[in-house]
Amino acid sequence: MIEAHGLTKKYGDKVAVNDISFTVNPGRVTGFLGPNGAGKSTTMRMIVGLDRPTHGSVTVNGKPYVQHRAPLREVGALLEAKAVHSGRSATNHLRGLAATHGIAKARVHEVIDMTGLAAVAGKRVGGFSLGMGQRLGIAAAMLGDPRTLILDEPVNGLDPEGVKWVRTMVRYLADEGRTVFLSSHLMSEMAITADELIVIGRGRIITTGAVQDVIDAVTKSSVRVRSPQAEDLVARLQGADVTVTSLEPSLLKVDGLSAEQIGEAAAAGGFVLHELTPMRASLEEAYMTLTADDVEYHSHGAGEETAPAVVAETEGANR
Amino acid sequence: MTATTATAPVTPTEANGYHLNFARILRSEWIKFTSLRSTVWVAVVTVGVMVGFSFLMGFGMTQIAQGGGGMEEAGFGGTGTVIGTSVASFGYYFGQIVVAVLGVLIVTGEYSTGQIKSTLTAVPTRLPVLAAKGAIVAITSFVLGAVGVAIAVLVTTPMLSTYDLQVDLSDSASLQSLLGVPLYMTAIALFAFAIGTLMRHAAAGIATVLGMLLLLPILGSIQIQWIQDIAPYLPGAAGERIIIGEQLGAVLTPWQGFGVLMIWVVAALAAAAVLLRRRDA
Ligand SMILES: Nc1ncnc2c1ncn2[C@@H]1O[C@H](COP(=O)(O)OP(=O)(O)OP(=O)(O)O)[C@@H](O)[C@H]1O
Ligand SMILES: [Mg+2]
Repeated sequence: MIEAHGLTKKYGDKVAVNDISFTVNPGRVTGFLGPNGAGKSTTMRMIVGLDRPTHGSVTVNGKPYVQHRAPLREVGALLEAKAVHSGRSATNHLRGLAATHGIAKARVHEVIDMTGLAAVAGKRVGGFSLGMGQRLGIAAAMLGDPRTLILDEPVNGLDPEGVKWVRTMVRYLADEGRTVFLSSHLMSEMAITADELIVIGRGRIITTGAVQDVIDAVTKSSVRVRSPQAEDLVARLQGADVTVTSLEPSLLKVDGLSAEQIGEAAAAGGFVLHELTPMRASLEEAYMTLTADDVEYHSHGAGEETAPAVVAETEGANR
Repeated sequence: MTATTATAPVTPTEANGYHLNFARILRSEWIKFTSLRSTVWVAVVTVGVMVGFSFLMGFGMTQIAQGGGGMEEAGFGGTGTVIGTSVASFGYYFGQIVVAVLGVLIVTGEYSTGQIKSTLTAVPTRLPVLAAKGAIVAITSFVLGAVGVAIAVLVTTPMLSTYDLQVDLSDSASLQSLLGVPLYMTAIALFAFAIGTLMRHAAAGIATVLGMLLLLPILGSIQIQWIQDIAPYLPGAAGERIIIGEQLGAVLTPWQGFGVLMIWVVAALAAAAVLLRRRDA
């Protein structure tokens, strides 16, 4: 369990994390979602005491991380940047960490096998690929068999097999009753992996809750209607909360009515329908909506001026 | 996702005796130290330069003695053992450079690679890491200094004894100078370690330490009174007193000089400890 109260971090004048409070519960996979520079990594570094909060506090399993007698048994952390001396082998890196807590050598070999590093464990870490470095980071996090896992963009650089493995692993660990807190800036990744979401933008929490609730709160569903009598149908569908957009001469996009309601209205008026498709905004869209005002580093350049007025929609959520 | 239910709490902490203590942290730092290739190089180079320069110095002495020259005319006063001792201990000047670099790199190497984040996550109280690394720096430098000076004695004695200039190990002043070599090197390495911890950057740390050890003494020879007044209290000049021994006109006695160096060391380590605790990793 991770509890943050009024956590704030300033680097000079720059407010990286601005007075955030949240709880990450055991038995769940909690996603920490936000655009670049939102403050995810900063928050995670504060949890494990690497960065000192400017204000506020954060505890892990009831105590500040630094006060635990066996920190690696409480928290396993995979941080953003590579955190290994490039001149050492993976095995020696893990042996060094294990020794601080008196963790047996057998456990070192266990996590090496678990993360698929056996073949390269004796090689100098300096020559590791991004994905191998990431696996070593995960191995280090698992070393103390921790009750809480904090993973900063764990799938970064992993191949599809590795991505799947991380997903399965965090699910398994959460089901064992552990606390799993992982960050990403990809909503689609979170939707597959997480149970709960904490969405952050510009150092502030935008929203929290179960993944589906967060998505539902920001996505208005719409319905695609194709009819040769589209123009007449529009008049029939008008209402207080209803917006009808004409996409093509015989194609409408209806917001504010369910497919059932439209179907019934059409039948009542004797309209012919060629298509009636419920649409859900994609997760990425939901995320864009959420963080639109909180993206710090906008991309400028190609295509921006001509951004399509109608965002392509996919059917159903990407779950 | 609704299928997730909190199962029984995971194994309680410390059930299997896994927790931090200083002996374990020391062991961890030792594993880290010995698992880097550069460690072997430092050991070989330190002993190598110490013995090598003593040998050259000893060879030079025999040339002077052989040229029929009295040592006095050549500017080397004193009895045989004084000369033998200065030859055998001569390597400290070069040995100190290597152990100073070691002291800086043992900590800055962690910052440049990001390793420090792993280290301080495992030991979030941080100060035991400083103590453990300091202990390793101290022990390593002492042992290398002692081995270097011992081999230097062994290597130079045969050639010096021809002219009766060899070290007399029953002479207490000579012993103090020889013992001074590992003591001095230990203190310098710790000082460098503290500076490295303060600066967190290899190049800056090495430049600062070597500047203080090698450059400042040269500036110290400038004939300006206030510079002359402080020069004997610089870390290198003060610490060397224990190796050079009693000297006419010296401001500090050998042990006073070593004491002044230790004050530098303790002050630098204290500053390093405060900042290590306070700063973001
Ligand atoms: N050590 C530091 N010194 C100064 N500014 C910093 C430091 N660390 C982070 N910042 C700033 O704080 C803000 C938050 O950064 P942080 O790395 O926490 O974001 P993030 O959410 O992890 O982003 P990303 O998705 O790119 O990893 C950024 O604007 C960053 O530039
Ligand atoms: Mg980040």
